[in-house]
Amino acid sequence: MVSPTIAKHIPRLELATTCITHSMTVQEQDLDLICRMASGDENAMREIYATYGQRLFAYALRLTNDHAMAEDVTQETLVIAWHTAGKFRGDGRLIAWLLGIVHHTAMKMMRHTAEPLESIEETVTGGKASPEEQAQVEEMKRWVRKGLQDLSAEHRAVLELVFYQGLTLNEVADICQCPLGTVKSRLNYARAHLRGVLSRTEEVWR
Amino acid sequence: MNHEEQLILYTANQLDQAEHLSFEKHLADCTECQVDLQLWKAVAGEIIASDSAERPPAKLAERALEQIHRPAASTLVFRHVFQLLRSQVFLVQREMWPATASVMALGVIVAFVSRHAEFIYFIAPLIAATSLCVLFGPEHDPAHELALSTATSSWKLLLARLSIVSAYNLILVLAALSILMIIFPPALLGTLALGILAPMMFLSMLALLLSIWIGTSNAIVVAYILWAFQFIAYQSIGAWIGSPAITSFLIAYRNFWHSPMLLLILSLPLLLIALWSANRPLFRLSM
Repeated sequence: MVSPTIAKHIPRLELATTCITHSMTVQEQDLDLICRMASGDENAMREIYATYGQRLFAYALRLTNDHAMAEDVTQETLVIAWHTAGKFRGDGRLIAWLLGIVHHTAMKMMRHTAEPLESIEETVTGGKASPEEQAQVEEMKRWVRKGLQDLSAEHRAVLELVFYQGLTLNEVADICQCPLGTVKSRLNYARAHLRGVLSRTEEVWR
Repeated sequence: MNHEEQLILYTANQLDQAEHLSFEKHLADCTECQVDLQLWKAVAGEIIASDSAERPPAKLAERALEQIHRPAASTLVFRHVFQLLRSQVFLVQREMWPATASVMALGVIVAFVSRHAEFIYFIAPLIAATSLCVLFGPEHDPAHELALSTATSSWKLLLARLSIVSAYNLILVLAALSILMIIFPPALLGTLALGILAPMMFLSMLALLLSIWIGTSNAIVVAYILWAFQFIAYQSIGAWIGSPAITSFLIAYRNFWHSPMLLLILSLPLLLIALWSANRPLFRLSM
């Protein structure tokens, strides 16, 4: 824990005085991590990456559809988080703040590369003998995957944030920098799109 | 919150206990929500399965820390420019350095002996033009083809060499004028220095462009003629022919070389065209 007298002399340590280091909840641990990072503790950066790196990278990958770019986005997110850690006020969840940086960085990077988003080519394994039911489930999964890939990055992002990152719709709106109504309309669009894809699947299997 | 939104939050396990129970009651009676639930479960399952399978690079935090500790972009640009200039110093034709300095030294001696500081004004643009004519192209650079195959574009190489040689020429002129201060009044040399730089720049840019287009020797000849014409023409031929049209043209031509602003403004497009031509082999007729 950083003493208030030291914190007073370090401008980046705005949050240090509120840090709690023992018997912590997740939110307190997050606040502690960000405080340490704001004070220049490199291990805090490593811990943040160990805790949230997978989720940040997965989200970056879904947005960019490009492994190398997702790595760049994640790395840039950590760098931005390092430089702006002192601005994190602790009124939201750390993961939501970090995902917001991922979202912004990915969108900026994609605008710069100006390449259209392309679906990742999925290799569907075939020729393996399996029961018909199992095959049907696999086929449905494949169609869902296909349906998800056909969605734009913005629509896919909303689904990722809700279902994988476990964020509330308000947090999603903050991250995507759009009104709550837009988040809801994106979810509705995704639902209609996926429904269409799945109804076609059912027709195929009938 | 309508049922569609509740269903999404229900699938994502984000409803509180009361909302959860109440929605389950609704779900039991609503066929449409049941169908949608299957859809969202399949979607959530797929997203969770595919996202959790992604493994982030192990050393990304270390790479981010390296990036944080790396010098700022401006420092990197400065370092890159310095490296480029340093590498090009050795690729400028070696004979150019002593030759230019010797001619300038000779000019200083002639100016001393003849007591005419203006002589420096006459030779400085010629020296600058000649030195820039030998900057680029296979005639002067044995490593020319190799340089073209590197990642650095031709125009950057040319600009780097141009900067080095121009800086060298400028130093020579200033050194020559400083030496001449021993016998000439500083005010005269000050005026001379201001008068020299613009024609020196214009003539050297013109010579550089011509050397890329029509080859070194042709460029030197054209540049020398254009420069010398203002002295020869006005003093002898102009007076001799006596035609008012020719005389006024010669006066205008001489005035052109004494208009520093115009010369500096015209130097810029010449420089840009030269750099542009360096990048395009088709425009390099000299090759």
